[in-house]
Amino acid sequence: MSRFNDFLEMKVMPVAGKVAAQRHLVALRDGIILTMPLIIVGSLFLILGNLPIPGYADFMAGIFGESWSTKLQYPVNVTFDVMAIFACFGIAYRLAQAYESDGVDPLSSGAIALSAFLLATPYSPFQVGEATANFVPVSLLGSGGLFVGMLVAMFATEVYRIIVKRNIVIRMPDGVPPAVARSFVALIPGFAVIILVWLIRLLVEATSFGDIHNLIATVIGSPLTLVGSSFIGSFVAELMIVLLWVCGLHGANIVGGIMSPIWLKATAENATAFAAGTDLPHIFTAQFFEVFIHVGGSGSTIGLVLIMIWRAKLKQNKQLGKLATGPAIFNINEPIVFGLPIVLNPIMIIPFITVPLVMVITTYIGMSTGLVAKPAGIVVPWTMPPFISGYLATGGKISGAVIQLINLALAMLIYYPFFRALEKNQLKEEEARQREVAASEDSTGPVSR
Amino acid sequence: MNILLVCAAGMSTSLLVSKMQKAAEAESKTYHIQAVSADQAKKHIEHAEVLLLGPQVRYMLPQMKKLGEERGIPVDVINSVDYGTGNGKNVLHHAESLFAKKG
Repeated sequence: MSRFNDFLEMKVMPVAGKVAAQRHLVALRDGIILTMPLIIVGSLFLILGNLPIPGYADFMAGIFGESWSTKLQYPVNVTFDVMAIFACFGIAYRLAQAYESDGVDPLSSGAIALSAFLLATPYSPFQVGEATANFVPVSLLGSGGLFVGMLVAMFATEVYRIIVKRNIVIRMPDGVPPAVARSFVALIPGFAVIILVWLIRLLVEATSFGDIHNLIATVIGSPLTLVGSSFIGSFVAELMIVLLWVCGLHGANIVGGIMSPIWLKATAENATAFAAGTDLPHIFTAQFFEVFIHVGGSGSTIGLVLIMIWRAKLKQNKQLGKLATGPAIFNINEPIVFGLPIVLNPIMIIPFITVPLVMVITTYIGMSTGLVAKPAGIVVPWTMPPFISGYLATGGKISGAVIQLINLALAMLIYYPFFRALEKNQLKEEEARQREVAASEDSTGPVSR
Repeated sequence: MNILLVCAAGMSTSLLVSKMQKAAEAESKTYHIQAVSADQAKKHIEHAEVLLLGPQVRYMLPQMKKLGEERGIPVDVINSVDYGTGNGKNVLHHAESLFAKKG
């Protein structure tokens, strides 16, 4: 086991540390966090507009009129449907924060990136009666434009940094208010970014791709989505998450930093389909993992917690089980992962790795056969307790809660024998320790202390 | 003393905060203890005197140490068993000893 420990400390930790600290991935993760509250708010309206309860439609029509579901869609239109705008701004802002010491201003960077993103998005003219108007296709500002928004955000901020670092800026004399000076500092980088994106757009327009969105979707978006939202891709991602947790590292956070753009795109595409009432295209969305696999935290440790309060023989285990129950209900697993511990525990890492992988398989089978409703693109906060979360995430389908219950039962079944073995070991150690204490007292005689 | 705890989302460390506060109260000490998520750490480090990382984000130690060194703030990782079992007293004493060493 110590060789395994060494391997983790020497090989896994530095890599995990690098991935977790890589500034583009950090910016990606933190930038996407900006969209989360909006998406959760949008989700609430999305589910209210599509609850599959008999009589509900009539009830809502009675309050809001015939077009009630369209009206409930308004907040979804400005959150879900344009999330690429917020993601683009957020990512540029967060990346610029990492470059603040170089003189990159986060707010300017966000604004420039947003402008560049819109520049990369084709405007189309259309007729309104006599007049011609321009419009930006909203579909390219939502899930369709997510990858473009992310790439443009990073591109714009990198260009900004290079220019500021080379000191190609307009400096203002002393006495000019700092805010005024800052706006000029951003002038040349802004100019450079717009010119570059403009040139790229002109170039792409000359090819058969037509526009930058189409190019990115074909070259990057589709292959990534194909891998990331496939069964194998998701299985491997989940395996990585639990392997990192076994080393005591926050796997969901590290792997999520890489996978979140893909899973978020799948989420948004499902949300669009759900609102339109068409077939949901994806099984593997962000919620597939958060709601159905990480029930009660990564490794579905809530199953273990329940076994501990129910069957534990050792007082310390029962106590830990009680302590860990509250957090586990809200999908927080650290007390059990570090307290039992599961980390680097040769017995407990086996079920900890097996359980989520089994759950990926059962949930996938359930959803692909249609027995269980797919995640409807509705984003519930990851701290939402099980059963409620499954019901909501599937757009109000009981099957979403049922599969969580089945998964939880499976988790308990798999954890049980290993926990028994663990306690047996702990009891043996406890006895051995007591014997040792007794023996040492014997040899030293009745010395009063 | 101002103690800043950092973990992935600031959720599980917030559990520990309440335990540490209880431990501090029991020793009649008034400390300001706060838990934040990793992306917020930079913002809050200005007011901190000790920074402790949750073991699940200990890969951030080099990064956070750098931040801490710039400001002369000791940075360390919380013992994982103390973390898991919510041993506020031990973690509190850990923070105190770090602070004392630095001071």
